[in-house]
Amino acid sequence: MIAKAPVAHVAISLLAAGTLSQAHAADFDWKKFQGKTITFLANSNPVSLALLTQKADFEKLTGMTLKIDSYQEQQMRQRLVTVMNAHSDEADVFMTLPSREGEQFAAAGWYADLTPLTKDVAGNYDFAGLSQALLKAGTFNGKLTSMPMNIEGPILYYRTDILKKCGVEVPKTIRDVEAAAKKLKACDSSITPFVSRGLKPAVAYTFSNMLHNIGGTYMANGKSNLCSTKGKEALETYSGLLRDYGPPGVVNYSFPQISALYRSGRSALSFESSNELRTVMEGGERLKDTGLAPFPAGEAGQVPTAIGWGLTISAYSKQQEAAWYFVQWATSPEIQKRMALQGIAPPRPAVANDPEYRKWIDEQPVRKEWQAALDVLATKGSSEVGYPIVANPQSREFIGQAVQDLILKQKTVDQACADADKALDALIAQK
Amino acid sequence: MPQANATPVPDWQRLELSALSAPAVIFTFAMIAFPVVYTVLLGFQSFSSTGKQSFVGIANYSKLLADNEFWHGLWVTIALYVLSLVLQLVLGVWLALVLFHAKRLHGLVRSLFISPFMMPPVVAGMMWLVILDPSLGAANYILQSMGLPPSDWLASPSLVIPTIALVDTWQWTPYVALIVLGGLQSLPPSVYEAAQIDGASPFKTFQRITLPLLLPTIVTATILRSVDLLRFFDIIYITTQGGPGNASNTLNIYGFRVGFEFFNIGYASALMLTLTAIVFGAVLAFNRLRVVVAW
Repeated sequence: MIAKAPVAHVAISLLAAGTLSQAHAADFDWKKFQGKTITFLANSNPVSLALLTQKADFEKLTGMTLKIDSYQEQQMRQRLVTVMNAHSDEADVFMTLPSREGEQFAAAGWYADLTPLTKDVAGNYDFAGLSQALLKAGTFNGKLTSMPMNIEGPILYYRTDILKKCGVEVPKTIRDVEAAAKKLKACDSSITPFVSRGLKPAVAYTFSNMLHNIGGTYMANGKSNLCSTKGKEALETYSGLLRDYGPPGVVNYSFPQISALYRSGRSALSFESSNELRTVMEGGERLKDTGLAPFPAGEAGQVPTAIGWGLTISAYSKQQEAAWYFVQWATSPEIQKRMALQGIAPPRPAVANDPEYRKWIDEQPVRKEWQAALDVLATKGSSEVGYPIVANPQSREFIGQAVQDLILKQKTVDQACADADKALDALIAQK
Repeated sequence: MPQANATPVPDWQRLELSALSAPAVIFTFAMIAFPVVYTVLLGFQSFSSTGKQSFVGIANYSKLLADNEFWHGLWVTIALYVLSLVLQLVLGVWLALVLFHAKRLHGLVRSLFISPFMMPPVVAGMMWLVILDPSLGAANYILQSMGLPPSDWLASPSLVIPTIALVDTWQWTPYVALIVLGGLQSLPPSVYEAAQIDGASPFKTFQRITLPLLLPTIVTATILRSVDLLRFFDIIYITTQGGPGNASNTLNIYGFRVGFEFFNIGYASALMLTLTAIVFGAVLAFNRLRVVVAW
């Protein structure tokens, strides 16, 4: 289950809106806001880069001008905080990660309520075709706040040739990963056996998958739960893998370093975002020797992390209806198919059956495995990355700190989890 | 030279000049004063995670005194400041002397010597991040090819401060050298001629003449570097984001994260104003020193 707090009536209203809109398909006027300028505050990541290759199509279709204000993820959030705290209408549309900042931004009133806007859609929009789980993940207090742009989560990239050379089977369980890493280390000392995120604020993205697979939870009875048996097991396993089998300096590793290491052929098992496929395959060197799979199961089975970027409209935008036309266009079946052909996993399951997309998938075996892994993410995924509280971004810091303390052997697991739980309990208590 | 015959400006003309320049003066003053005053006001506010604001008086400053992360940040800031400043002053003076005495040095070589500080710090940070990567970087490759053990550089809690200090020193030593070079070029040659006649050795000449005469220039360079180093941000943010753990979490990085990642703008303002006071204190102290060493 992706959503933590499913709100059924939103899904029903969306379905109803989709049905209604089909009746008005022929009447839909894409030129209604011709001449207006929409400002889009974008995170310069593969998702927005793929979307913006279609910018001319939007401008031609609507007669509107799309002004792009694009930054790297952290810089985009800083800009957003400044703009929204000033109640400025500078940004009409912005990208958001509901699993991270959704609760916080919704409580701050920064999201426009998209529910009424969804009544004004083109006939071919197909609301029902969007991932209902991701729609629910973007719904807070009964209000739809963002439309899904993609689905993503960490998956295991592994080197088939190195595993074969070292006589290692593709890991099926977390214990297999540990055994495989040990065998790989003994077999080839020039290769990094296992790599995943070690940078403090980035750890939660991959660690959450480990925690959930092992059967742990972030919270129990309203308190932080890292010192539970499962919590400690997850902390020890994750940090142990990175400490004993990870690259030197792994505490500074996030996706750019992990992808660079894997692409250069220096790591055997790499646990990183499905979005990195394109980056990892750049140059084509890894095309023939890479296999992909969701992260192996723990005692609780496979509970992969599955999240998605969303497109939302600023509560302070003075042209929310026009902005909605951009959001609607960007999340339409046709545009999401075009993005999928650029390696952005679509939040519309139907795209997977599209002949053009199927052809693209069939072109390379690694794409088939990528799609299969994404199917598991879509059906079994959890969007819980860090604590399900308003201060989610800050909670990720404390998770990362506990993992780093163990990687660097600065604390025992009991000390690390106790310190993290203490800080997190204080955070949970904050209103 | 005083102008004895200068015609006094009539009062009406003074008034007119004041009136004409007033808008620009008021605008400039407002541009400087507004952010400072606004930050002071924000320092008395508390912001919840959802951005709700309330007046809390000096609570943010009391919190700061009890905040271990603040004291740790202050310690990291000072450690980085002292280490970087000493390295940059020593190497900067040395580089200035090399450039001063190597008269035949080609202009292009001189430009190359001073080029690092023309590079944007973000670019320098990215470049060093790649060079110092323990797995793929050139630094460890060079160490290993010389038979030396590899280092974790920015990923080691004990090495991260010296490593960042080295990166900053690489970038800003030429800047210090350029200032000192200007000072060297303005020293009176007669003093050196007298020293030469008295048979002073090059070391004695440097110790007894060059260094004391250069002190005002060195103090000026110290002031300029102090302001930058105490609010050091870009290279740390690019390379470690305050890590590993919080080993390189300077006050500026800490304040930035509190404000822009955790949205507690009030507490971040209190942190930043405290840092500003520290910077002002350092500048005032060095300004007094400059008066003492002036000749």
